Amino acid sequence: MPERRARAGRSRLDGKLDRIREAEEAGLLEHARGSRALRKMLGNRLSLLGLAVFSAIVLSALLAPWICRYDPQKIDLRSVLRPPSAAHLFGTDKLGRDIFSRVLHGGRISILVGLGSALGAAAIGILLGSYGGYKGGPADRAFLRLSEVFMAFPQIILVLLLVSIVGQSVSNLVLIFVATGWGSIYRMTRARMLSIREEEYVQALRAFGLPDLLICYKHMLPNALGPIMVNITLSTAMFILQEAALSFLGLGVPLEIATWGNILNAANDINVLARYWWIWLPVGSVISLFVLSVNFIGDGLRDSADPSQLG
Amino acid sequence: MIAYTLRRFLALAPMMLLMTFLVFLGLELTPGDAVSFIAGPEAMANMDGSQLAALRESLGLDDPFLARYFRWLGGVLRGDFGYSLTSGVPIARIVAERLPATLELSAAALLVSTLLGSALGLASALNRGKALDQALTVAGMIGVSVPEFFFGLVSILVFSIELKWLPVGGRTRPEYLGLWDRLPHLVLPALVLGVSMTAGVMRYARASMLDALGKDFMRTARSKGLPEARVDLVHGFRAALAPIAVLIGFRLPMLIGGSVVIEQIFQWPGVGSEFLAAVRGQNYPLVMTIALLSVLAVLAASFLVDLATAALDPRVKLS
Amino acid sequence: MEGETLVRVRNLRTYLYANGRCNKAVNDVSFDVRAGRTLCVVGESGCGKSVTAASIMQLLPPLARIESGEIAYRSAEGELRLDRLPRNGRAMRSLRGRDLGMIFQDPMTALNPVYSIGFQIRESLRYHTRLGAPARRAKAIELLADMGIPLPAQRSGEYPHQLSGGMRQRAMIAMAMACEPKVLIADEPTTALDVTVQAQVFDLMERLKRERGTAIMLITHDMGVVAELADEVVVMYMGNVVESGTVREVLKSPAHPYTRALLGSIPLLGRGRSQRLEPIRGSTPDPFDRPPGCQFAPRCPRQEPACDAGLPPEVEVSAAHRVRCLFAKEGRDGR
Repeated sequence: MPERRARAGRSRLDGKLDRIREAEEAGLLEHARGSRALRKMLGNRLSLLGLAVFSAIVLSALLAPWICRYDPQKIDLRSVLRPPSAAHLFGTDKLGRDIFSRVLHGGRISILVGLGSALGAAAIGILLGSYGGYKGGPADRAFLRLSEVFMAFPQIILVLLLVSIVGQSVSNLVLIFVATGWGSIYRMTRARMLSIREEEYVQALRAFGLPDLLICYKHMLPNALGPIMVNITLSTAMFILQEAALSFLGLGVPLEIATWGNILNAANDINVLARYWWIWLPVGSVISLFVLSVNFIGDGLRDSADPSQLG
Repeated sequence: MIAYTLRRFLALAPMMLLMTFLVFLGLELTPGDAVSFIAGPEAMANMDGSQLAALRESLGLDDPFLARYFRWLGGVLRGDFGYSLTSGVPIARIVAERLPATLELSAAALLVSTLLGSALGLASALNRGKALDQALTVAGMIGVSVPEFFFGLVSILVFSIELKWLPVGGRTRPEYLGLWDRLPHLVLPALVLGVSMTAGVMRYARASMLDALGKDFMRTARSKGLPEARVDLVHGFRAALAPIAVLIGFRLPMLIGGSVVIEQIFQWPGVGSEFLAAVRGQNYPLVMTIALLSVLAVLAASFLVDLATAALDPRVKLS
Repeated sequence: MEGETLVRVRNLRTYLYANGRCNKAVNDVSFDVRAGRTLCVVGESGCGKSVTAASIMQLLPPLARIESGEIAYRSAEGELRLDRLPRNGRAMRSLRGRDLGMIFQDPMTALNPVYSIGFQIRESLRYHTRLGAPARRAKAIELLADMGIPLPAQRSGEYPHQLSGGMRQRAMIAMAMACEPKVLIADEPTTALDVTVQAQVFDLMERLKRERGTAIMLITHDMGVVAELADEVVVMYMGNVVESGTVREVLKSPAHPYTRALLGSIPLLGRGRSQRLEPIRGSTPDPFDRPPGCQFAPRCPRQEPACDAGLPPEVEVSAAHRVRCLFAKEGRDGR
């Protein structure tokens, strides 16, 4: 249609559509093959980037003892508050400790707390939620009520309240996170199971007389796992943020253990904040990057697990 | 409407009762002599052991647990929360002094994040797939990922210390009086507190708007010959509003929680920084009271969200 | 003017683009919509009938394009090439709602749930007439009354979810007819409704045609509806018009195997249980993997190798009856 082309203001979209049409007419296009979910995930550049950053940070934290030249706890009063240099990549803090080494070693604790809490909360939430959603009953109603009570608090306030009661330690923190975090995954699993329960294959399995536990955990749960995985990913990010905030406030992991939040704690001092940026800026950026990468991965997982989005 | 409010209040009552019970249980189980936060510190200082025992007796501290609970609950309902363990000041007075600052900060952050978040989400959805949308999507992800306090630290360094545009912290200076004078103090904390909520609202507003854009009624609106801007805003955005209001309601607890950290960073004299001090000092009566109030705030917020949703979506019935 | 051609569609091709593929949803379609007549476009879902309607209204999705052909509308000021107007430009917008009205399949989703139906009717008036607010209010109520809605003043303030399905569709028609358009395009207007309500909606459309001389283009998949309402009929299959003509000719002596199959697959009232229904064998082909020639060939009882040689040309069976089939003439009597 040369006449048409000359007339209408042609956009870039038109050019793109022309190319598709020509390819279609030449019979070059065919149906895409392979796993759609995988294809979508791989096609999502941001999730891939997130995966790369995530792996890099996790690996360097795991390999910290082999990467770092300095002991993260070693106090060296001869080199205090040194700015970043070849000897000390991220500089040194008030006690002359190497910040790069502290960031890598701190990552181990921070990631452990975040991932451990997310997995712990998920384990409880899934265990209770899938059976509760499938069978119901008074126990389920009680747990539902309990989760409502927990979720009525702003999370950080509940966490701080519990910290004030049980005291500060890494394991206490994980326990508190699990106690305050299981509710959301429990409710989500429960809701998924409630809808799966109505599907015909479940009715069929029941008619066969299979034990409830088998139906629930072996046959139904796998079909609810997609959104649960996304939730675990995102709650890992949330717990890491919370650990950082608590430790920054001096109420999380005890200060003598290096974690990302504890390193940032030094920035409570306006003097440090204004003059010694290397003490807090790099570690804050690492936390941000890590959480960002986890969130991108979670987003990618969600998109690829969601069949309602075409592509 | 009034009937609904009443019904809703009655429905919340058991929940609140349970909360107060848990809080009282917490108070009982935590260390610290109950006498000290019922009688007030001055009275305590002038007493010896036998007087103390007599006081315990007269205050009913040796009564059965449930009796003590109901007496405490009666006090709470009259606004008597007992005394702070560290300063001896009635808790009600501490909270009353500090609540306005927190409300001011939260309201400002809520206002900013609601308006900015919806507007950016709308712009993002209307430019789906274009550079603006992609930039906003990445920015939104950064907004929900960067820890609020880190964002606060960076903004203090940039805007207060380096550029000297805004004060480092605090709510006011002695010579200032009006809100207008205080505004420079409010800007940074409110923006920082609102940042992650803005990002959250934006992401959700975008999704909700995209959903609305795909609806059949948009085509109907076009079939009437309405201008595109009217189709997008009057039909699309209006229909997308109710879900956005729901999200804002869900996020409010996070805003309330976030204010604890932000008040600390900006030395904002609100309930949040008092809460932190109480947690540090294991000042349990104060910790519990503030936690109870935060629950009340969350429940009130969810009630407001229900009202807003009903106002925005005629299909929703208040019942 | 009764019988005057208001919309002329010639050799229309509209392609849909999705996921990097191109679907030739409407491929060479021609027909006329005349004043005071009902043109029925009939075919299975996916045959391109809705895309054809959307092309006329320029209400296509963003990734759809009119590739060639013409859509001409005879307006009061002379003939307008609708396909050449910018999609959401001023000219096209002033035609939509004023000259061309459209009603949709499911009034529940096609009406905005957050506005009263009165508001949605008044919106049209606001953009296409000079009526002031009170006059628009009165006119909206009058329109609802005209469409046979009881208590129109009260209904006008109600929201779509408060009305029954039939009421909703009448409100929808009131909205489309607000500015007395000369052409009404109805895209399966009764598919989502009960059978009894269907009849009421069709009565209403008949009345509009009779009393106002509205040209109606009715899209349907139901041959019963065609028999009931149509003056002219266009049968579409996989983006092509396979048969077209006056309703008498097409229904009495269907010349295309697909039309015959459609007619053979509906039960006729009064013939009792003994009648033999013949479902069409096979299923519609994948739009991205089309047969090379006649699109119906793989499902056709009359199929021959020649059918795959290319799209059969249109053959005139009689002055008011055209068919796209190689065996149109011989196949007329029996099979």
